[in-house]
Formats: sequence, C-alpha cells, structure tokens
Amino acid sequence: MKDIRDLKRAFRRHRTAVVAATSGALFVIGWLLDVVWALGAASSAALLVGALVGGYDIAKKAYYTLRTGTVGINTLVTLAAVGAILIGEYWEAAGVVFLFSLGNYLEARTMGKTRTALKELLELTPDTATVRREGTTVEVPARDVEAGETVIVKPGGKIPVDGDIGEGESAVNQAPVTGESAPVRKTPGDEVYAGTVNQEGALEVVATGTGSDTTLQRIIRRVEEAQEAKAPTETTIERFAKYYTPGIILLAALTYLLTRNVVMSLTLLVIGCPGALVIGPPVSIVSAIGNAARTGVLMKGGEHLERAGKIDLVAFDKTGTLTKGETAVAGSEGFGYDAEEVIRLAAIAEKKSEHHLADAILDAAADLTPPEDTATDGGAVVERPAVPDPDDFDVAAGKGVVAHYGGHEIVVGNRALLDEHDVDVPDAVTQYVREREHAGETAVHVVRDGTVIGAIALRDELRESAPGVVQALKDAGVRTAMLTGDNERTAQAVAEEVGIDDYRAALLPEEKQEAIRSFMDEGNVVAMVGDGINDAPSLATADVGIAMGAAGTDTAIETADMALMADDLERIPYAVSLSKATRLNLFENIGIAVLTVGLLLAGVFTGYVQMATGMLGHIGSVLVVILNGMRLLRY
Amino acid sequence: MSETVQFRVMDFSCPSCAGNVERALGSIDGVGEVEVHFSTGRVEVEYDEGRVATDDIERTIENQGYTPQPA
Repeated sequence: MKDIRDLKRAFRRHRTAVVAATSGALFVIGWLLDVVWALGAASSAALLVGALVGGYDIAKKAYYTLRTGTVGINTLVTLAAVGAILIGEYWEAAGVVFLFSLGNYLEARTMGKTRTALKELLELTPDTATVRREGTTVEVPARDVEAGETVIVKPGGKIPVDGDIGEGESAVNQAPVTGESAPVRKTPGDEVYAGTVNQEGALEVVATGTGSDTTLQRIIRRVEEAQEAKAPTETTIERFAKYYTPGIILLAALTYLLTRNVVMSLTLLVIGCPGALVIGPPVSIVSAIGNAARTGVLMKGGEHLERAGKIDLVAFDKTGTLTKGETAVAGSEGFGYDAEEVIRLAAIAEKKSEHHLADAILDAAADLTPPEDTATDGGAVVERPAVPDPDDFDVAAGKGVVAHYGGHEIVVGNRALLDEHDVDVPDAVTQYVREREHAGETAVHVVRDGTVIGAIALRDELRESAPGVVQALKDAGVRTAMLTGDNERTAQAVAEEVGIDDYRAALLPEEKQEAIRSFMDEGNVVAMVGDGINDAPSLATADVGIAMGAAGTDTAIETADMALMADDLERIPYAVSLSKATRLNLFENIGIAVLTVGLLLAGVFTGYVQMATGMLGHIGSVLVVILNGMRLLRY
Repeated sequence: MSETVQFRVMDFSCPSCAGNVERALGSIDGVGEVEVHFSTGRVEVEYDEGRVATDDIERTIENQGYTPQPA
C-alpha cells in the first residue's frame, strides 16, 4: 500500500517530466513508424496517443483558465492541437504538444534555479543551539531559544541567534548578512547575527532575536517582498498581454476566413503566445535582486531597480559616507591663550551637544594632561576631573554652540556663527583656519566673552576606498557629487582628494534635500548615498536613496530604496552597474521576444513555418529569455 | 478561526500558471485571501480551519499540475 502511495507521490512530483518524456517517445515512435517502416496508420495512432497524453494536462489547465474568463497560452495550444487533430495533421498536433510540454518542464526547472538562490541564505542558520540552562548546557532547536538566554558558539560554528557577546572574543564572518568578505573582530558587548560564522574563539552570546525574528530572516523576507513587487515594465507587459492573446485568436480567425488555410491559422495560435515577453521581467528582476542580496545589497523592488538603472548622478554625503565618520582633533591653536585650555573650554561648551564634532573635542579634552594643581597630590595619582557641565547651552544648527559657564559666554562655531555674534576675528586666526581648511580639515573658533581665544582643527579620515569608488562610477558614465555641511575650502580640498565631480558645501541639514532637488531639476536621475538616519530626508527626496551600514537599523532598510548592509562603499558601483545591467537585460529580453514573434509571423505567412516549427521557435525564445535573465544571478 | 499557511511551488513555468493556481485556491469554500507569487514561488493561503484542511489546499495545487513544498 505504502509503495503505491509513494509511487503516486513520485509521479505527481515528476509529472511534467514523465508526461513530456512519454509524449516525446510517442512522437519519435510515430516518426519511425512512418518514415522507417512506412506504416501510415500505426504512425498516426502513435502520434494521436502522444498528442492526447501530452495534451491532457494542457487542456485541463486551459479549462481552468477558461472557467475564470481568461484566455491563456494553454488555451491557444489546446485549440491548435485539437484543430490539427480534426484536420488529420497528427504529426503537427503531437509535435506541438510534445514541444510545449518539454518547454514547460525546462522553463519550470530553470525558474526553480532562480527561486532557490535565496534558499541558500536560509540554510545558513543552524537548526539547533547550545544553551546554558540551569547550570548545564543543553542543545535545543534554535527557534526555541528565548531572548536573554546565553548561547554557546564553538570556534568554527555558525551563530544560531541574533545577540550580544557576553563573553569571549573572535573574528566573525558576516558575509551572509552584510556581504563583507573579511571577518569582523567581535568583543564582549558587540552585536552578532544569526547565520554568521564564528571563526576563532568560543563565544557566549546573549540572545536578542531568535527564530523568525533575526536580522537574516528579516532580510530574506524583505528580499522576497522585493522580488514579488512588480516592476513597471512587468505591469506594462502584462497589461499588453491581456489584449494580445485574444488579439492573436482574432487574427487566426481572420486568417482562416481570408485564406481558408487551417494550418496557417492554427500555427498563428501556437506562435502567438506572449510567453517570452511575459516571463522576461520577473526572471531578470528576481535574479538581480537575489544576486544583490547575496552580496549585502538590499534592493526594495523591481520599480526601484529599474529607476536605479537610469542613475546618472550619485550624490554622497561626506561625513560617515566618503569619510570614516570618526572625527578627531588634529590640532589646536591658542591666540593669546593656552592651546590646551582652548580645548578644555570648548569641551565644556560642547558637552551637551550631540554633534559629531563635539564628541571629538570631548575625546581630545579627556586625553589632555590634567591641569597642574590637580595632576598629582603628594605623588598619588588623582582621578582626572571630568569636564564640567555648562550652565546653559544652545545649538545653532549647522553653525556651532553658544554656552555659559562660570559667568563667561563661550561660543564654539564657524565663521557664520561668529559674524552673527559680531565677534571680531583677528587675521592670524583667519589665516590658521584657512590653512587647516585647505588641508581638508574642519576648523572651529573658540570665543570667550566676545574674544577669539583659539581655534580647533578636526579631521575626519577619508575611507581608503572612496577615490576608487568615485573613479569606478565615472568609468560607468555616472557623475558624482558630494554634499557637506563643511565650509567651501574644506569641501573643495576633500572633493579634490576623492576626485569627485561636483560638491555643495556649507549646507544646513535641510539644505541637503534642496541640493538633491536641484540636481534632479537639472534633469538628472539622482541617487543619494548616506547613513539612512541623519540623511533620511535627502534619501527620500532622491530618485534612489541608498543607505549604508544598514544591518541592524530597520529604519534605514525601511526608508531607503537600496540598503548596503555593511559600511562598504565599494558596493555602490556594483549596485549601480547591476541596476544598469538589469535594465539592459529587460530590454534585451523584450527585443528577443518581439523579434522571435516577428520572424515567426513572417515565416507563417510565407509558408515556411508550420505548427511544430512554430512551437520550437516559441519555446526556444522563452528559454533564451530565461537564460539571459539568469545571467544576472552571476553578475 | 482563520489560519494562514505557506507553501513553495518551485515549478511554475509562466506567470499565468501562478494566476491559475491563485484562482483555483480562491474558489475553494472556506478559503479567504490567496497570494501566489510567480517570481518567488511563494503561495500564501488564508483559510478557515473548520472548513478546509491544508491537505485540500495542497491537493488543489497538485491538481493544477504543480508541486507544493512546505515553506
């Protein structure tokens, strides 16, 4: 009993293959009977059976389609096959049916390959986890681990949950999640992701997300949604196909009425299927999005991908995108004042600020040798005094801060802020600031009670990859621009160092959005690259918003059209050229489909193409389109 | 109570095949929302546990000529 059930199951699973093979075998037998043994009647019988075996499934599908009031490819093929049998063209009927079944089988096989591209990602997460429970360690299904439990990951093992490292140090290969090929050093407190590989030491991970609530699972869900979202080309083609198929039936009927040529009109039905046209966009889009996902680039959907294919200008936010975003004090100068005191005073003013320059100044203040009187106390090292809080403090967005401390007004900021406060800036200060800015640094003035007492120069190192990335984009025919809140001179110095085409300096946060809009008004299709949080508005304004370092920040993935999971600038040229390749691929496939139908139509009307040859051409074009689309998987 | 079940169908050969399966599933008594995606092969069916078994859903997909796999 069980054997029979297994057999049935196996048959159901391989039905398309079995049916195609059987009808193919009967087709060959029919050919042999006729050509080799000249048994006309037997040949016809074999061909008829072959057509029926292969045709049953097709007719069944046609019936289901008809019941819902639509006419599809199965309807056309059924009509053609039935028509051919009625006029005694068994040869053509069997040929059409066999080739169509074979085509279906091959199409399903190849499409399945593109669909499983993501499955590889899913299989990365181990099924079980070793958890510390009640003093001992137990192995449990990974999805049953509760948040807060400690999971033990051996060297070389895959991490089964999202979590923070409690104990242990290791290098973790995060390629499945972020696409980074180099392992990342992890120490206690650092976040790790399910599906990544612990390469060196034993780790104890405190679980924060398990089962379907892990970063990798969220990525996969997001990627699938992206693949399912229809691209504009796809929607257009499907709308067209709705009229196209009935149109072909009409054309076939008309042909019959005018020429009384049954075979010709049936052949029209066979070649008129819009298969190659309809299947092109989903294959290209699924392949491209799947490929991108495997290398740490999340694309939101076909629509965004198509738009990204038209990008002709990429705008970068400077801080944290082109630069490492690790601003540090590079130097300071006192004007009639001690240089270290300048930093101490600035640190007090900046203490409550959340600006990245403030952090750098506070770090620099912490590294200073403490003032004489508190440094030593009878040889014993006294704890370094913390930077005191200012009495009050105000942020001038994009300009600096104004604070009060110990009865003094302290202003730390750029020239614009000083001008607002009518502060007289001596030439020596202006010169120092200029020099620093020409070197690509940012300089802030420190003012006490209306007098400039010093200036602090800050430097944010460029990412090593930045110049190469800009060059790669240029090579791809894409212009580049940099947006920054920095002053003109600093911006120019950095722009030159990176080799960027254009820059907009001294932008207030909201002005970045306007800069993007002005690029778009010039007729560019603009991509904006930023961190996805501070730059969220300009990412949303741009035609294509690209967020960097998005792993772990859901908002960035949510708002951006593309998200780079790692802080890896080098994925940008890849993402842009993949999008361009996808767009080209879509057009190629439309070309292949239209050209094939055109050639076949010409062939039919000139009498060169009969039913079976027509079907061969049709199937061939569908397979070529699928294979062409699948090239994007390996882009 | 309304439940949701997911399958994978890896052998859709054309976008309209997915549409046919979607319509076939939708016509089952006791089945609510149906989503069938050609591009990923994902099938998501909302159904009334009291009136439909997942086996019925699976069989319907098989009868259409495709192989459902558990998601």
